[in-house]
Amino acid sequence: MSPEETPPPSRRAVLRSGLAAGLGLGLAGCGFLPEDRNAFGDPDRPIDVKPDGDLVYFNWADFVAPAVFDGFEKEYGVKVIQSNFDSMEGMAAKLNAGNRYDIIFPTAKWAQRLTQGRRLRRIDHSRLKNSGAVFDHYQYFADPWYDRRSAHTVPFTMYKTGIGWRKDRIGDDLAGSWDDLWNDRARRQVFVLDDRDEVLGMAALKLGLNLDTTDARDLARITDTLKDLRPRLRGFSSDSYNNLLNGNAAMTQAWSGDMAAMLGQAKDPSVLGFEVAREGAPINSDCYAIPANARHPGTAMLFIDYMLRPENVRKNVTYIGYPMPVHGSEDVYAALVRPFPHCLVSPDDLKADLFFRNASPKGEQARDTAWTHVKAG
Amino acid sequence: MALRTPSGPPGPPRRRSASGTRLWTWLMLPGTLWMTGFLIASLILVATLALGTTDPLGNPRFGLNFDNITALADPAYRIVLLRSLVFALIACAVCLVVAYPVAYAIALHGGRFKHLLIAAIVVPFFANYLVRMYGWSVVLSDDGPVLKVLRAVGLADGHTRILQSGVGVIAGLVYGFIVFMIIPLYAALERMDLSLIEAGRDLYGGPLRTFFFVTLPATRQGAAAGAVLVFLPAMGDFVSAQLMGGPDQIMIGNLIQDKFFQGQNWPLGSALTMLMMAVLFVGMLGYLRRTRKDEAEAAR
Repeated sequence: MSPEETPPPSRRAVLRSGLAAGLGLGLAGCGFLPEDRNAFGDPDRPIDVKPDGDLVYFNWADFVAPAVFDGFEKEYGVKVIQSNFDSMEGMAAKLNAGNRYDIIFPTAKWAQRLTQGRRLRRIDHSRLKNSGAVFDHYQYFADPWYDRRSAHTVPFTMYKTGIGWRKDRIGDDLAGSWDDLWNDRARRQVFVLDDRDEVLGMAALKLGLNLDTTDARDLARITDTLKDLRPRLRGFSSDSYNNLLNGNAAMTQAWSGDMAAMLGQAKDPSVLGFEVAREGAPINSDCYAIPANARHPGTAMLFIDYMLRPENVRKNVTYIGYPMPVHGSEDVYAALVRPFPHCLVSPDDLKADLFFRNASPKGEQARDTAWTHVKAG
Repeated sequence: MALRTPSGPPGPPRRRSASGTRLWTWLMLPGTLWMTGFLIASLILVATLALGTTDPLGNPRFGLNFDNITALADPAYRIVLLRSLVFALIACAVCLVVAYPVAYAIALHGGRFKHLLIAAIVVPFFANYLVRMYGWSVVLSDDGPVLKVLRAVGLADGHTRILQSGVGVIAGLVYGFIVFMIIPLYAALERMDLSLIEAGRDLYGGPLRTFFFVTLPATRQGAAAGAVLVFLPAMGDFVSAQLMGGPDQIMIGNLIQDKFFQGQNWPLGSALTMLMMAVLFVGMLGYLRRTRKDEAEAAR
């Protein structure tokens, strides 16, 4: 099986051949070599929409109401095999390692990368009975920037980035601007998200620059602005929900969906506030997608259609706190976030188009260096 | 994969035919395979990737590109590396000071409860480090139980903080890795010949003098092993700084993690890892030379 089994019974030889095998294994480095165009299967084959096996599901934890899974399993006589990722990068790494899933939920930026890398199966919307509720009412998603004509994706949830704060600590009269993060009342009790794009983007919007600029001069100004904010910060953390609830944060940059979910957890929601800045609120969405190497694309199509049924959309929206671009679910969500109207994502918000986009590898590196400088101080 | 089947069946042993030698050789196989797969291969992978590039999908690709190495000259990394070194050293020192009396009490005065006490120390560490640290971050938060009690008894005011401070991060490191200090110290104290202490006392050494001139030198190797076991993981840790630290407590582990995740720049992350390992290696050399000297003395 391995070179270790050759006969000379000297311990030194065993160790030496172990080293050699290590060299070989390391250099073989399963998968970091360039690959051919359709290494993950031809993405353009049409999908036969019928149950063709159990659904291998890959998403953030807790992002679909358990009752919806139960209903799907019962109706189609298949099982849902769940696994979760905790970051988009983690998801991509699993896909690249050759793991096979039937349905995944990339954000817009990752949907574009995966589509360009020919990793997603083409989805024929005419085969989805309920797709009209999405594409007939939300024009934006009929031809989004990340996937031409939504040919490989169906939008799932949407969110905006704003500022959450504790009214009992710093009052309720904020200015509705990113400048609020510099508010003296919140000094040293401010968190920003531990997220490169969100933090650089916030400063860019404040300065009136392009949301995801890669220009060296812009990035220098952004870094200066953030270094000015740094002494006022208590930390970088994406756990805005807990930071506000446990009192570490008087104010924090926050995702609208987390703030909506927090409403359900807070003992007294009236002490909490959420606003979006008038300079602009970054917006994001994620989507359903079927990997090119999925084993059960038919079941995946049925699952998407099932999830788009109005009653299931309502259940999911209530469960996860993120709005979905599906006609008929808007009133349920509006009722859910009545104290935080800024959580709503309107067609106008979508039109403002403040999505974080992919940059060239050089551009990404420039942004990454800027982020390192912001974080390391 | 690079594993090949050896050509031909194993022949008869050529030289040393003692079956004992052969047995020992075979017994080395699992360890060798383990080290091959998880140490040498991964190390080579990281070293090679440090020269790699990133494709538009964010995937690392092998290459021959020295940008990542030159990027390490950025002063931001130097500051953070130095800070990590200082934090890890302080954590190490605090661990030693806290762990020594604990190990001493258990080893010399534990009596028949010795094993129970050691178990009581080890068992909490079966729970995942990340989960325990997350628990601490809730307990120590501004509106959390600890500060509430301290405020109620007047030991803290509205501005007192535990989280997001250097003290918080170092406390996290100490809490996370102290068991690695207690166990080797316990082993060293347990092994120590107690008549040495008696001899010290017979030679008119007071309790303190006996401790410093007899007990401490006799357990020096345990302390050194513990120091290495605490220092290495503390230096690379990112959980404590993430959950207990603020902007001024970021450690090298956080930056490396950022490169692999948000930055989607595995090659730069690998280069940073190599830099950290180089720093650690220099530190380890001192330890290795010391233990070799000790061994040589013991052999005499």
